[in-house]
Amino acid sequence: MSDYRITPSMITSTTLDNLNSDLSALQRTSDELSSGKTILEPSDNPYGASREIDLQSQLDGLNSYTQSAQDGISWETTASGAMSSISSVVAKVRELLVQAGNGTLNKADREHLGVEVTQLTESVKADANAKYGDEYVFSGTATGTPPYEQGSNDSYAGNTESVARQVGPGSSVTISTDISSLLGNGPESGDGKLLDVLRTISKHLEGGSPEDVEALESTDLKGLDQNYETLISLETKSGTAIDQFQSAIGGIESLQSTITAALSNTDSANIATTSIDFSNQQAAYTAALRAGATIVQESLLNFLQ
Amino acid sequence: MSIPTMQGLSTALSGLLAEQEELDVTGQNIANATTPGYSRETATLQTRGPIDIPSLSTVTGEGAQLGTGVSVESITRIRNAYLDAQYRAQNSSLSSASTQAETLQQAQGTFNEPSSTGLASQLSNFWSAWSSLADSPSSEAAKQAVVAAGQQLAGTIKSISSDLSTVSSQAGEQIASIAGAGGTIEGYAHQIAELNTQIKLSEQAGQPPNEMLDRRDDLLDKLSSLGQVTVTTQANGTDTVSFGDAAKPLVEGATVNWPQTVSAATGGQLGALLGLTAETGPLASYQTSLNSLASTLAGSVNALQPGSPFFSGTTATTLTVTATAATVQTASGEAPGGNALALAIAGLRGGAAETGYAALVEKVGSDVSTAQSEQANFQQTLTAVGNQRQSVSGVSLDEEMTNLISFQRGYQASARTMTAMDSMLETLIEHTGVVGL
Repeated sequence: MSDYRITPSMITSTTLDNLNSDLSALQRTSDELSSGKTILEPSDNPYGASREIDLQSQLDGLNSYTQSAQDGISWETTASGAMSSISSVVAKVRELLVQAGNGTLNKADREHLGVEVTQLTESVKADANAKYGDEYVFSGTATGTPPYEQGSNDSYAGNTESVARQVGPGSSVTISTDISSLLGNGPESGDGKLLDVLRTISKHLEGGSPEDVEALESTDLKGLDQNYETLISLETKSGTAIDQFQSAIGGIESLQSTITAALSNTDSANIATTSIDFSNQQAAYTAALRAGATIVQESLLNFLQ
Repeated sequence: MSIPTMQGLSTALSGLLAEQEELDVTGQNIANATTPGYSRETATLQTRGPIDIPSLSTVTGEGAQLGTGVSVESITRIRNAYLDAQYRAQNSSLSSASTQAETLQQAQGTFNEPSSTGLASQLSNFWSAWSSLADSPSSEAAKQAVVAAGQQLAGTIKSISSDLSTVSSQAGEQIASIAGAGGTIEGYAHQIAELNTQIKLSEQAGQPPNEMLDRRDDLLDKLSSLGQVTVTTQANGTDTVSFGDAAKPLVEGATVNWPQTVSAATGGQLGALLGLTAETGPLASYQTSLNSLASTLAGSVNALQPGSPFFSGTTATTLTVTATAATVQTASGEAPGGNALALAIAGLRGGAAETGYAALVEKVGSDVSTAQSEQANFQQTLTAVGNQRQSVSGVSLDEEMTNLISFQRGYQASARTMTAMDSMLETLIEHTGVVGL
C-alpha cells in the first residue's frame, strides 16, 4: 500500500507537539511581557547580551564621571569661596594702605591699623585652610594637613602636587590650586608673596618711621597689587575648572541618553508588538486545542452501529 | 472423477478459519493500538492447492481445477527497515543536540546574565567603587567599599567556576551511568542479545516472532538515543548491532561486547556528554576563559597597587582579595589626597577583563543557541520520519474497524456457504431415492 496512512497515534503526537510548541511560544512571549526584556538569557541573542554588558558598563562609567564632576564642582566652589574671601581681605588691606599714606594719621593710628592687618593676615591663613569634607582643598595631595598654621609660622605645609577628577575616558580636570604660589612662605623666606607682603605691611605700619611710611605707599602697595594679579589668575583657573565640569556633565548627559536608547533597542521588549504576538499566539493555541479536541475524538467507531 | 462430496464443507471451513484468524489479528492490532513499538500485523492468506477434476467438463471432456479454499500462510508485521535506520540516525542526532542544549543551558545559567547581580555588574560596581575612591581618596569608607566590591567580584567569579565544575561533574556521572559496567547501554545490549537467541530459535521453527521483533526494534530505538546505532540483520534472524565508534560490535548474536572505548564521535547522548566534558570541550573552554579573566583582573589591578597586591591568586577558584582598607593605595606617594592610582584603576573599566567576559557570555550564548536550533531542527526531522514510520506500521482504528466488518461479513458468508452445503447434502442423503414414497 503506497498511500500515506494517517493513524490516530500520529494525530495525537502531532497535536501534542503543536500544543507544546504553541504553549512554549506563549510562555516566551509572556516572559518578555512581564520582564519587559527580549534578552532573558544570553542564548536569546548572544551578540545582544554581550553588547548589553558593554553598554551597561559604559553607562555605569558615565554615572561615575558625573559623580566625579559634581564632586569637582563642590571642591572648586569651596576653593573659589575661600579665594574670594582672601580677595576681599586684599582689597581691605589696600584701602587701609591708601588711608595710612594720605598723611592725616598719627603714629598711634598706624599702629592700630598694623594690628588690624595682622588680624587680617590670620584670616587669610584661615581661609587658606578651607576644607571640603575632610580634605584641605589647598594642600595639594597632602589633604590631611592644613596648609598654614595659625600664628607666626607662615610656611606652607602642603605640597604642590596636583589633584584631578576624571570626567571621561582619558579626560580629567585638575582641581588643586597651588595656594603657595599666592601666599608663599612668609617674611622669613622673603619671597614677596602675599603673606610676606602682609607681614611687611604690618611691620611698616607698626614701625612708623618715615622710611616705613614711604615703603607703605611704594613697594608694599606694589607688592599687594602684584599678588592681587596672582589671586585673580588663580580664581579664574578655578572658575574655568567649574565650567569644564559643567560642560563635561552636559556631554555625559547626552551620551547617557544615547547609550540608554541603544541599550533599550538591544534588550527592551516592544510592548505593542509583543502584546500583538501574545494575542496571536493565544488565538493559535485556542484553535489548536479546539481542532485537537475535535479530531482526536472522532473515529469510525462513533458511526458504527 | 468428480468433486468429492464433502469438498464444499471443507472449503467453507477453510474460509471460516481464515476469517477467524483475520479477526484475531484485527483484535490484536486494536488491543495494541497504543503500545509503543508495536507494528501492525496482517494475516497473509493464500488459496489452497486445487484439485484436478478431469472429466468435469462435459463439453470438451477436458478436466478443470477446483479451488479448495484458503489457508493462512503467515502472520507478518508491517515494518520498513529503511525507515527504522533513518529514524535511529535522526534519534541519535536529536538526542545529542538535546543533551548539548540542556547541559549548555545549565552552564549558561551559572553566569546569571543579563541581570543586575551577574558578574558584569559586579565588575562594573568594582570600577565604580574605585572611581568613588578617587573622588575621596582619604576616605576610609570609600576604601572599605573598594575592598568589599573586590571581595564580591572574586566571590562571584569563584562561584561561577564552581557551578561550571558541578555541571561538568554531573555530565561525568551521566556518562558513567550510561556507559559504565552495568549501565544503560549494557542493559539494552543484554536484552537485545537475549532476544536474538529467542528470535533465532523461532525463525528456525519457521514462524516470524513478531512480538519479539517489535521488542528488539524498540530496544534498538532506545539504544539509538544514546549513540549512533548500525543494525545488520543476519540470515538467521539475529541482529548485529554496532554502537558509535566502538571497535567491536556491541551485540553479535548472543554475545555482548561492553564496556568498550568510545569517543565523542559516537553521537547520541553519550557522544554529546563526552564532547561536552572533553578537555577541549565547551565546559573546559568556559573555565579557561574565566581563569584568564581572573588573571587579567588580578594582573591589571595589582600592577596599579605597587605597595601591596590587591588580589592574590590568578585562577577563577583561587582569586581572593588580600588588600584591606588600610593597604589600599590611591596614589604612589604618602600624601592622602593623591588619587592617580585609583583613577588609573577606575580607568580599567571597559578594558580586557570586561571585553573578555562579554566575549565569554556571547560564546556561551551562541553555543546554547546553536544547540537549541539544532535540537529544534532534528526534532522536526525526527517527527517527520516517526510519522512516516507510523504511517507504515501504526494501527489505524478506522482501518481495523473496516477490516473487522469485512472479516465478520466474510465469516458470516462462509458460515452461510456451509449451511448451503449442508442443505445440499441433506437433499442428497435424506431425499434421494425416496421419489414416490
